[in-house]
Amino acid sequence: MTDILPLSPNQKAFKEYPKKPAKIKGSSIAILIFLTMCALFIAVPLYVMIVTSIKHMDQIRLGEIFSLPTQVTFEPWWKAWNEVCSGVQCEGVKVGFFNSLAILFPSLILSIGLSMVTGYALALWNVKWAGTFLFILFTAAFVPFQIIMIPLIILSGIIKVYGTIWGVAIVHAVLAMPLLTLIFRNYYKDIPNEIMSAALMDSGSFWRIFFEIVLPMSGNILIVVLILQITSIWNDFIIGLYFGGIGTKPMTVILANSVITSRGEISYNVDMAAALLTAIPPLVIYFVLGKFFVQGITAGAIKG
Amino acid sequence: MFHKTLIGVATALSLSVAPIAAKATELFVYHSWSAESEVAALNVLIDALAKKGITWSEIAIPHESESNVGLINLVTGGNPPDVFIESNPGFYRDLKQMGLAQPVTELFNSEHITENLPPAVVQSITVDGDIMKIPTAIHIDGMIYYNKAVAAAAGVDPTSWTSLDDMWADEKKVEDAGYTFMAMGGNTFQAGYLFHALVAAMAGPDIYYRLYGPEPDPTVFDEPALRDVIDMHRRITSQADDGWVNRSWADTTNTVITGKALMHLHGDWMKGQWRAAGATAGNEFGCINIPGTKALSVTVDAFGLLGGVDEETKQAEFEFAKIVTDPQIAADFAAKKGSTPVRSDAPSGAMDICNTVVLDGLRDIGGVQNPFNITDGDWHMSIWNVLFEFQSDPNMTDDDVIAGLKDEYDAIFG
Repeated sequence: MTDILPLSPNQKAFKEYPKKPAKIKGSSIAILIFLTMCALFIAVPLYVMIVTSIKHMDQIRLGEIFSLPTQVTFEPWWKAWNEVCSGVQCEGVKVGFFNSLAILFPSLILSIGLSMVTGYALALWNVKWAGTFLFILFTAAFVPFQIIMIPLIILSGIIKVYGTIWGVAIVHAVLAMPLLTLIFRNYYKDIPNEIMSAALMDSGSFWRIFFEIVLPMSGNILIVVLILQITSIWNDFIIGLYFGGIGTKPMTVILANSVITSRGEISYNVDMAAALLTAIPPLVIYFVLGKFFVQGITAGAIKG
Repeated sequence: MFHKTLIGVATALSLSVAPIAAKATELFVYHSWSAESEVAALNVLIDALAKKGITWSEIAIPHESESNVGLINLVTGGNPPDVFIESNPGFYRDLKQMGLAQPVTELFNSEHITENLPPAVVQSITVDGDIMKIPTAIHIDGMIYYNKAVAAAAGVDPTSWTSLDDMWADEKKVEDAGYTFMAMGGNTFQAGYLFHALVAAMAGPDIYYRLYGPEPDPTVFDEPALRDVIDMHRRITSQADDGWVNRSWADTTNTVITGKALMHLHGDWMKGQWRAAGATAGNEFGCINIPGTKALSVTVDAFGLLGGVDEETKQAEFEFAKIVTDPQIAADFAAKKGSTPVRSDAPSGAMDICNTVVLDGLRDIGGVQNPFNITDGDWHMSIWNVLFEFQSDPNMTDDDVIAGLKDEYDAIFG
């Protein structure tokens, strides 16, 4: 055995090589500047919104939008939630919050349910004219909503759902169907044939295979679609505005009612607080489910 | 126009789809008002209706565009409101074609309402010879609201101005005292409103209606008076301070309220901003018409009634019309909204000095209709765009503006 001799204080364990000066590439600097600008593009208006929402109107009237509040007040937030008017109903944006929730759930169930089953059928079953149907769906994804708005209003009037929550939900489902069906169809088409063959041999029916095999395998893509749809439905203005009835206007419409005025007086602090309150739910969804969203997209990409 | 393309569809649908009808004593109202003063004014009507056993159910949709798509969609969707805010005469013509118009000429005459409305209001609510609208409020599109403390500090008295020359004579005095002479904002709405208010004030009704009539007269572009208006537009907009770009009218008025500028020439809805700041007419702020004005440009807010309804709903609609035009209710409504009552015989108890200036002006000088009520929407918006471009580009000349207006005219009517 050889003894390991301790190092003397003057000795070093590793030989030191002279350090190369760290080089920052020009392209990295450009990217950093670009990203900083992108961040500021969002952050500066957000800063103005937040500080304005906690200022008194006396300070806001001075027009110094970037200044910090001289006196912080949360009254605008309370007023936005409880008191701002949408028409003569002055109960704040909270009314719209609950309406938006009432619209969100049936819209989600309808749009995702319909697209999921359609995508499953197109991907894993021999559907006659499947190619043509997919082509039509793909084309429909590029039709602007404004073009079909009036026909949809007429149709929803005929089937007696115009001006109801179900009217809003059906329109959301119809408009989301092209994109969501394509997403589900592309996800399911990579399920191995062997699994389907085995399921069929076990006397699996269309619905049984869907519920017992396909649905449990859809976790990742469901998260992606859920986030997409929650954000899109919550932020929607035009469908809720034109298809919602009395007392069923979503939060975005209540917000617009309280903020948009051509000749009425304007309270910017309350307007900003109301806008922030309306934006919070989708933000929360992103913060909570954002990680799963990335996982879902990645899983889909690898499988594809 | 957008809604014209929908007439066929809407007619068919309104006949084929049963409306979600309001109960006999319930009026389904469509409007676009949600500001505090507007809601307070609407509550005056709601309370008065309730005393007559009529309830108010509403749909409020904000819009700032020429085409009132929300209202058109309600009609198209088979759920038309019984009462609706709409000023565009084209909409009433469309309703008439669909059998859904409800004139109130007979009602207004038998109730002695017409004779107590200023002529400019009667003109504004009449479509093709029939009174189709229920007037709720008068606004003047171009008035001067000034800060009394700033005027006192600068040693000027705007009420003494009898012409625009008088006004400009005080400019230096105000600037030397350290104030901006005229507050200025920056968007098409403000540039357009300033221009048509100046056309009415400086060029008078004849040139105004030749420019803003249903069929504009292209010879108006050769009128020297129109060039004078363009020059005045330039002189006023040149008062802009550093922050004018994209500044809304409300923020512009705020610069007067906070004592940075002496005055603001804009629509008299500026009063709402002053009142929201706790100021009152005659104390903190004063108001005058454009000095030496030849005509006041008048905006009349108005409701329309749906025709083709059952008798009970029709009676409720007529009751609504009578309530809105009742002298006392008109006065209460105007006091809440910050507008001027539509009735000349409205009790003056609730009026402020600005209301008096307006009613005196309508009586002594007379008014012209807001372009939204009379002219083609595309033409109106084109004028806004040309004038805002003029405001934004200091190198543009009178000739450029006239040439721009002619080009737009040719594109729309040529």
